[in-house]
Amino acid sequence: MNCDIVYLLPLFTVTIGAILLMLLSAFESIRLEVASALSIGIFAVAFVIQLVPIGMNDVLPFVSLFNGMLAVNDFTRIASMIIIACGLFTAMSAISYFRQNNFGSLEFFSLMTFAVSGMILLTMAQELITVFIALETVSLSIYVLVGYNRRNILSSEAVLKYLILGAFAGGFFTMGIALVYGALGDTGLAAIAASISRDGLLQNPALAGGLLFILFALFFKVTVFPFHSWVVDVYDGAPMPVTGFMATALKTAIIAVLANVLLLAADIRESWFDMLFYLTVFTLFAGNLIAIGQNSLKRMLAASGIVHTGYLLIALIAVSGDQFSGSVILYYLAAYAASTLGIFASLSYLSGTDEKRKEFKDFRGLAKVRPYSAAAITIFLLSMAGIPPTAGFMGKLYIIITAYQSGQVILAVLGIISSILSMWYYLRLIIAMYFHEADDLFETSGSRSAPVCAFILAICVLALSLYPVAI
Amino acid sequence: MFENVLSTMIFLPIVIGLAAMLIPFSSTAARRIGLLTSLIVLFFGLKVYLGFTGNGQLEFTETRALVESAGIFYRIGVDGISLFVLLTGAALIPIVFVVVKDRPRAFYGSLLVTAGAMAGAICAADLVLFYGFWEIMLIPIFFMIGIYGGPERKAATIKIMLYTVSGSLLMLAAIIYLGVAFHGQYGVWSFETAGLAGLELSDKAAALAFFAFMIAFAIKIPIFPLHTWLPDAYTEAPAAATFLLSAIMAKIGIYAVIRFIMPVFGPELVRYAMPLAWAAVIGLIYCGIAAIGQKDMKRLLAFSSASHMGILALGLFCLNIQALTGSIYQIMAHATSTGLLFLLIGIIEDRLQTREIGDLGGIARQAPVFACFFAVALLASVGLPGTSGFIGEFLIIMGAVKFDTTLGVLTATTLIIGVCYMLWMFQRVFFEKSNDKTQGFADLSICETLAFLPAIVLILLMGVFPQPFIARITPAAQSHIATVQGTGQIAGQVALDHIQPQK
Repeated sequence: MNCDIVYLLPLFTVTIGAILLMLLSAFESIRLEVASALSIGIFAVAFVIQLVPIGMNDVLPFVSLFNGMLAVNDFTRIASMIIIACGLFTAMSAISYFRQNNFGSLEFFSLMTFAVSGMILLTMAQELITVFIALETVSLSIYVLVGYNRRNILSSEAVLKYLILGAFAGGFFTMGIALVYGALGDTGLAAIAASISRDGLLQNPALAGGLLFILFALFFKVTVFPFHSWVVDVYDGAPMPVTGFMATALKTAIIAVLANVLLLAADIRESWFDMLFYLTVFTLFAGNLIAIGQNSLKRMLAASGIVHTGYLLIALIAVSGDQFSGSVILYYLAAYAASTLGIFASLSYLSGTDEKRKEFKDFRGLAKVRPYSAAAITIFLLSMAGIPPTAGFMGKLYIIITAYQSGQVILAVLGIISSILSMWYYLRLIIAMYFHEADDLFETSGSRSAPVCAFILAICVLALSLYPVAI
Repeated sequence: MFENVLSTMIFLPIVIGLAAMLIPFSSTAARRIGLLTSLIVLFFGLKVYLGFTGNGQLEFTETRALVESAGIFYRIGVDGISLFVLLTGAALIPIVFVVVKDRPRAFYGSLLVTAGAMAGAICAADLVLFYGFWEIMLIPIFFMIGIYGGPERKAATIKIMLYTVSGSLLMLAAIIYLGVAFHGQYGVWSFETAGLAGLELSDKAAALAFFAFMIAFAIKIPIFPLHTWLPDAYTEAPAAATFLLSAIMAKIGIYAVIRFIMPVFGPELVRYAMPLAWAAVIGLIYCGIAAIGQKDMKRLLAFSSASHMGILALGLFCLNIQALTGSIYQIMAHATSTGLLFLLIGIIEDRLQTREIGDLGGIARQAPVFACFFAVALLASVGLPGTSGFIGEFLIIMGAVKFDTTLGVLTATTLIIGVCYMLWMFQRVFFEKSNDKTQGFADLSICETLAFLPAIVLILLMGVFPQPFIARITPAAQSHIATVQGTGQIAGQVALDHIQPQK
């Protein structure tokens, strides 16, 4: 069993890095750039370790560790790679943002690295207490990150809102664990799966209730309707890089857990199919309607995040039989993460001091003054809207194929309609950038790492579209 | 990468176009590079024409895996129908780079990207690939109208975008549905056009998928009542973009019906041919009447173009060889004549800063060559015997009479509307008294004359000597009509056999 440690190397790398960064923040003489570079280095190392499947070739595709508490397989490996990449790009764009806004301290990078380590753990967790601990590690770091700009009143409002509602969600989750434990005397996902496939879900009300609580807590975290109400204000108040980080890394981790829970046994989806179906439909359309009404770019992106959650739910529901469409979900998450991080990286430097530009009208004429930035943002928006030849198009294509294949034609068609609706708010920014005269010089200060980050991500968005996925 | 001629014709303009957007050339340099690129593309187009054997199969094919696990392939090729659509585009685009001057380099870049993507859409033999190019060709057009268009450009851009995107997404739904149905039937993923012809779909599903495709193409063509984006978009777009929209993009809509709907949805097409033909004729008459009242030359021509597209569409729905041959012939004829007219109007606008018919007059005396070219293109557009337009329209009307006498008679008699508004416009703009504005109108320069001349010659040549073209079109038209009438299942099966082994 001594080789188990090998599978956890990325997790160890990130966690040790996080502790190291925390210790370093005691020294005032260290510059922000050093901490940023260090965290980028940590993420890069972890990414490379994760990329090379050490010891994966000679063992089963599914390895369970620590007596079944953690599991390592291709799904967790790729999910953690996405999360680590999100951390890397956030660290890159954050430095520009902090320099421009004159705040930020070394702890930021440490907290973000802690959050990433929690997220990696989340993807691997196969036991509810472990999930809870990982979830709280992530949440605690993110609460602090959301309120990181102490001088900003919106930021304080956001953190309070998120903290109170997040605490409720955490409470729900523990309540769920308690019920499940009461029903089964075990908190392992394997035990739950075994019990459901033996007796059926609804035959055991305590178990069903417990799972429902757990699902709701997770739905809250990934902003499924009707648990989405916090997201617009929180994303709006959080500093730009943090919003991008929450929208991508956090969503990837939680969707991974959600996939683990929802796909435990076919009976879960079958028993609650109607509920899941309507939640998906309402998530898609509520997100679109909220996004259409926004004037602030950040709020629009927050609301459009709800829509993307809806697409992921389509993929989660439309799993045919026991065959797991993990690759489709991961592909969509990677495509979505690349475009969302890209647009937040661009906004990190374009928004200017104190985020003075964050409405659609503030970006009028951007293409005339900064054509390359505008082109990059256009690529990200086209990807989010699902227009070829971008990764977002392929992601939506795979999800809709999965939906058709499992007979969910209505979901597939609604997904396409929602895509038409979403054109409205993505195009609005493109129109603002290209079809108006510039009345702003879009001067920015700070380092060049955020523009570089946006450039790399724009290439990623185009390159990912050719990455093959098995359906 | 470029050992295949068609791939070169697709990707050379796209790559150079993107380079022209990113690398700071001067505007003139970008225009010259564009001209050179489009001439190279034309050269390759001629090479394809000469090497084309016309055996009824796709030729110059190239197949590469894009996403093999999902059956998405980079699969291109030309047959008798796509060859002519491709060549029309390749032959006309160089003219744009000669005539349209003093635009920013991004404009020329966008033109090149659109040209490449259009070639891609024409050559694609895989539905997902086709969809990709279909969307990509729209993106530069969107920017060209939105950035360089007229005063009402924003509204026009949003209108065309919403229309075409809704149509495209409907089509995407149908494409995915076909792919899934194929997977259900044969156990492999494939979006190859030829293979999909062998699908057995339930009536209801087939009808829904048929309409999803039909609406997407009907928006592009446009067929009444989905034409309302057209007058605004054509009027507000800069001349070069209007040219691309009317001369090539609309024709790709017609071509796509022949290429994708006829083999796969034969029975549905037969069932719904009558209402669709009526929609086409109503569009023909309605847009013609609307054109009479226009005061703006470009808007008049926009309505005229919509009206003529009604005839082309009618040719598709008559489902007989004469009409289909006529439609394919008319694709070339109409692209040449309308495309030229939009470019010539662009010249008027450039030199006089107005398009109002009321402000113009007496141009013929100032610029005889210009007026002469305009007259040839205009007469071809109204279908005067001796010009290319006559052959196509005659064949279509013949087919229409065969299909349904009422429709045929109605079409033949209402063509007079076109003559009416066109000649009246010509009279008011080119004859009558010249005024201060038109007094100094300069005639075409030598370069411009030379650029337009081949197209003018082509119009006349196609009018008096149509046989070389018809001979190449007829076999393709015959095979498509045979497919629609129900013998096409076999062709699909044959094509399927060579994709099966992938499993």
